[in-house]
Amino acid sequence: MAEKDLAPELTLERVNVAPAQTWNRLRTNDITLTVPAPGRKGDVYFSLPRLFEGVECGMGRAVTDWVESQAKGARYVEVPRGERREEAVVVTVGAGDVADTGVMVRAGAEVTIVVAAGAGEKDGEAGTSASLVRVIAEAGARVHLHEYVSVGTDQQHLESVGISAARDARVDVHQYLLGGGTVALGFACDLAGERARVDLGCRYHAAGAEVLDINEVVRQRGRKTRSELSYNGVLEDAAHKGLRTTIDLVHGAKGAQGNEAETVLVLGDDVVNKTLPTILCDEDDVAGNHGATIGSVSPEQLAFLASRGLSRADAEQLFVQALYEDALMHAPCPEARAVVNDSIGDRPLLNHESDDSKGVCPQLNHSEEA
Amino acid sequence: MSTQLLNVSSLSAGTEDKPILHGVDLAVGAGECHVLMGPNGAGKSTLGHVIMGDPAYRVTSGRIEFDGADITELSADKRSLAGIFLSYQAPVEVPGVPLYSFLRSICQMRPELKTTARKFRERVGAIADQLELDQGFLMRELNVGFSGGEKKKIEMLQLLLLQPKLAILDETDSGLDVDALGIVSRGIQAYREQVGGALIVITHNTRILERLEVDRTHVMVHGRMMAEGPADLIADIDAHGFERFEKCEDCDGCPKAGDAQ
Repeated sequence: MAEKDLAPELTLERVNVAPAQTWNRLRTNDITLTVPAPGRKGDVYFSLPRLFEGVECGMGRAVTDWVESQAKGARYVEVPRGERREEAVVVTVGAGDVADTGVMVRAGAEVTIVVAAGAGEKDGEAGTSASLVRVIAEAGARVHLHEYVSVGTDQQHLESVGISAARDARVDVHQYLLGGGTVALGFACDLAGERARVDLGCRYHAAGAEVLDINEVVRQRGRKTRSELSYNGVLEDAAHKGLRTTIDLVHGAKGAQGNEAETVLVLGDDVVNKTLPTILCDEDDVAGNHGATIGSVSPEQLAFLASRGLSRADAEQLFVQALYEDALMHAPCPEARAVVNDSIGDRPLLNHESDDSKGVCPQLNHSEEA
Repeated sequence: MSTQLLNVSSLSAGTEDKPILHGVDLAVGAGECHVLMGPNGAGKSTLGHVIMGDPAYRVTSGRIEFDGADITELSADKRSLAGIFLSYQAPVEVPGVPLYSFLRSICQMRPELKTTARKFRERVGAIADQLELDQGFLMRELNVGFSGGEKKKIEMLQLLLLQPKLAILDETDSGLDVDALGIVSRGIQAYREQVGGALIVITHNTRILERLEVDRTHVMVHGRMMAEGPADLIADIDAHGFERFEKCEDCDGCPKAGDAQ
């Protein structure tokens, strides 16, 4: 016990900082995290090629440095030019684990990367886990990134991603943030080359007193680059969520387009929901849009759902259930599915059938049975 | 004679600030098919929603009995579980909820419809095929971005899935092209044949009734039941309209025109 109490800690201030700040009194500019920092003196550490040092990561430099100092070793994956890697690059992170991953996707290559961060067998134990993923996508590369995060209510997870996309590179990102004591996610994508594109869909759920902090930045430097960012979440009880999204239309990015939209369903009286959508623009010939819809289930929706047998509580639970089913249905590998299944737990209304381990969705089964 | 399933007696109801229904009586036997007709604004849809228990309407007097129980004060979700189904004229969009999740949930609420995931998929797939509904719709958000015809087909999908004792179809035929109308009509016919449930069809269009054997026809004007008769009444209304019901003699009790709009 004494050893645990004396474990050295480090306070990371100004984490998940958006490029453009607002008033500090709104307390939405950043988050401060306390992380364990045991000495690693004497450990042999395999670091990523120095090229990855130039990749901007969503949570910021402090988290990158901390992960590099705590990870047992960096994992480097290179997908050769023009090759489609059949096997996904899976990063599995349990409580207390820290992972540092770098993926080089050579020109015209294609890769699927999965981050599966769950409580695993250490559910109920306090601890901090982290995953740092940096990706360099060369011209015409295709990157499919899936992030599944659900850690215990006593746990903290840091998820930082940085992607650099060259000419004609395409990146699609699927984030499912399904709860945890504190979950902080940062995502940065540099659309450096012409016509590079990122499509990001983030679905989240937080309940109880969980804290969810998200910072996502897309730098559109290349001409005719495109970003589509979509967020859809449900907040219950006294959950606390902060979301900072920034589309930075850099000087010279002629013809670039960026859109960001968020829909939040607030189901708890004590929920704290803060959203800071930002479009930065230093170029004339560009288009940027952002919008946010925040609300509860409408009376018309409640009446319709009641006419099908769902009470108010059932109707609200339906929205949560839909989110988890969506996560299951799109889970690209067993590790991701395990994160969702662990997160589902004993939810009463969830259509989670034990008779059919392949899940709840017809399309999922079609693809698996094919 | 069939057992009485629904009995609406002396029902007056309306919105918070406006009375719409005035002393309405309606009796529907188990397995019977009733048609409710009337000019626009007569209160037909309101009656359907009040029977369903829509909280947007308030019952000021009268009583609704269903399957032997007084449901006047019962919430809509409990009425639904008891076996009443209302097909919406304009089904509500529910973003964030895929149709498949919704269907699975509403069946899970009913012990008699609980089944394994695989059997449920097969059943939903079979009904979707019957309604010529692309199964891709099952993964889309409930009613979001659907055409009018697609929404009505999805209402029929729910009807066939839930197998209620009483289905109220509120202008299910509105906005449908000839082909879609035929598919929806076949869906209603299938409900009658497979479930044997009772129907209250609210409509202006007699084409949807061609495949149905109608037991009784009711005419509602200005929130009041003005006439009731056999199936022949439909043809009569089709030929002569509602004018004679609106111009009734000795109409001391008639509300002012537009009262129910």
